[in-house]
Amino acid sequence: MLPVYKKEMRTYFTQMPGYIFLAFFLLLIGIFFTLVNVRGADGNFQHVLSNVIIFFFILMPVLTMRIFSEEARQKTDQLLFTSPLSITGIVLGKFFAALTLFLIGVAVTAVMPFLLRNYGELPVNQIVGTYIGFCLFGMACIAIGVFISVLTENQIIAAVGTMAAIFIMFLIDAIAASMPTTTIASFVFVIFVIFAVTSVFYNSTRKISAAVIVGVIAVVIAGGLYFFNNLIFDGIIVRTLLWFSIYSRFSSFTRGILRVSDIAYYISFAALFIYFTVNVIEKRRWR
Amino acid sequence: MIEVKSLTKNYGVRKAIDDLNFSIEAGEIVGFLGPNGAGKTTAMNIMTGFIAASSGDVKINGIDILAEPELAKANIGYLPDTPPVYGDMRVCEYLNFVADIKGVRKRNRKAMIEDVMRQVNISEMPRRLIKNLSRGYRQRVGLAQAMIGEPKVIIMDEPTTGLDPKQIIEMRDVIKNLGKKHTVILSSHIMQEVSAVCDRVLIINLGKIVASGTPEHLSHGLHKNGIHVRVKGKPDKILSALTDNLTLKSTSAEPAKEPGTDDLYFKDDENSDKREEIFYCMAENNFPILMMKSTEISLEEIFLSLTQGGSDVARI
Repeated sequence: MLPVYKKEMRTYFTQMPGYIFLAFFLLLIGIFFTLVNVRGADGNFQHVLSNVIIFFFILMPVLTMRIFSEEARQKTDQLLFTSPLSITGIVLGKFFAALTLFLIGVAVTAVMPFLLRNYGELPVNQIVGTYIGFCLFGMACIAIGVFISVLTENQIIAAVGTMAAIFIMFLIDAIAASMPTTTIASFVFVIFVIFAVTSVFYNSTRKISAAVIVGVIAVVIAGGLYFFNNLIFDGIIVRTLLWFSIYSRFSSFTRGILRVSDIAYYISFAALFIYFTVNVIEKRRWR
Repeated sequence: MIEVKSLTKNYGVRKAIDDLNFSIEAGEIVGFLGPNGAGKTTAMNIMTGFIAASSGDVKINGIDILAEPELAKANIGYLPDTPPVYGDMRVCEYLNFVADIKGVRKRNRKAMIEDVMRQVNISEMPRRLIKNLSRGYRQRVGLAQAMIGEPKVIIMDEPTTGLDPKQIIEMRDVIKNLGKKHTVILSSHIMQEVSAVCDRVLIINLGKIVASGTPEHLSHGLHKNGIHVRVKGKPDKILSALTDNLTLKSTSAEPAKEPGTDDLYFKDDENSDKREEIFYCMAENNFPILMMKSTEISLEEIFLSLTQGGSDVARI
C-alpha cells in the first residue's frame, strides 16, 4: 500500500490535478469566507463549509478522475496488477493519497476560524462538528470517485460519471420523497433488485444454474414475506434510496451533534465503495 | 519452473486459448511464436496473473497464480506489449518505484537499479523524463522494470517490436544474457528473432500449440534431405541422366535465374546422403554443377505451413 500511496502523492504534485484541486478548493472556501464571515460580519464558519460542500460534485472528480483510468490508458495497470502488491493495498494506497490531498486542503482552511476568533466568540462545537462531517463527507465522495474511475479508461467519462453520481446523491432526498410507498410497489421493487443482483452474479460467475437457484430462493422468500408480513415492505424504496443520501446526514454535524451512527455510516459507505473497487479489479481474475 | 495445464480462455464464444499445455524448466529461454491474434498475449496475461483463465492451472515455481497471487507474482517480471511506464516520471524515479512495489530492500536498491540500467544500456539517462524517450529506449526501460527484483521468471511480450535493427541486436544480446540467470519466455511473430535467441520454440495458432521443439529440430523435421542443385544443360537430359542412374524419391526441375541453367529439387529418404552420387552422375554426363545445397527449410516456411493448416504438423 505504501509504495502506491507515495507514488500517488508525488503524481499529485508533479502533475496538475493536485494543484488544480487545492487552488479551486481554497478559492471556493475563500469566496464563501469573504461573503459569509467577512462581509456578513458573522462568526459561523460552519456555514462556509456547508456551502462549499455543495460544490463537491465538481471538486472531487478533479481528485479522483485519473486515479485508475489513467493507469488503464497508459497500460501501467499491468505493472501494478502483476506486481506482488495486493489489489486491496493498491486501491487503499490510491484512496488514502486522494484523501490526504483533500485533508491538506481542509487543514489550510483551519486558519480561518482562528482568524475569526480574534473578533468574538465562535460556536466551537458546531465548527468542530462541521469539520468532522466535512471530512467524512469528502471521504465518501472520494470513495465514489475511485470506484467510478476503475470502471473506465477515459478520464473525462470518469469525471462526468463521478459528478453525476455525487449530484444525484444531493437530489436523492427529493427523488425519494416522490417514490410510491405502497406495499405492492415495494414488492415489485424488491423483485427488481433481486433480478439485478442475480444478473450481476451471473455476469461475474457465468454459472447460470447457481444464479437461477439464488434468484428463485430470494423471490420465494420475498413472496413469502409479502403474504405473511407485508409491513416489512412498507416504504422500502424510500428507505433504500435514503441510505444513499449522504447529504442528509451532514446536517446534524453542522448543529454540533456527533452521532456514532452518522460517523459509522460515512465510514461504511466509503468502505463499501472501496470494496466494490477491489472487486471490479479482482473480477478479471475470477473464473 | 512454469507449469501450464489445460489452460482455456473464452471471450464470449471465441476461444482465445484452447487447452494449452506446456512446462518450462528453470534456465530455459522459450519463444512463443504465432501470428497476430494467436493468443500469445492472452497466454502471457494469464501466466502473470493479470487476467484469469476460464479453466486450467498456471503454476509458477510450484505456486498457483490464482490461489496465491502475491507469492507467485513475486517470482515474475513482466514486460507487456506496451511498456508499462509513467511518462511523467524520470527513469530513475520510475525504477525506484518499481523496486519499491517489488519489495526490494532499501540498501540493495541503488546497486540493483544501477546494475539493471547498465545491462539494458540506459545508464546515461537516469534523469530523462520517460515521455521524452524514443520508443526503443522506452522499451528498454520497460525491460529494466521487468528485471528489477531479480525475478526467477521474466516474461516478455514482443520485446523487439518498434526497435531499429541495431537495437534489436542489442536486445537479443540482453535477452541471451538474461537466460543465464533467469527463465525467460518471450513472444514474437518474427522467426529470426526466436531462432536467434531461444532454446525452445512453441508455435501457437488459434490458441493451440501446433508444434514445439528447438529451432533446429523444427526446421529439420519438415524437410529432411532435400537437395537443391543448379546444373548447366538441357533439363530433360539432366533429368533422364539422373533417373537412369539414381533412385530418388521425388525430383522436380524448373528453369533457374541464370540463363542456360536449370534448378533441380530432390527429396530422398531420411538417412541417406545422395550428394556424392549426384556429383559423379553429373560429371559422367558432362553437366557442370554450379551450385548444390541442402534445402533446410526456414522457420518462416514451417510457420506458414503450420499456421495455415499444413499437413506436416502432426509429425513434429
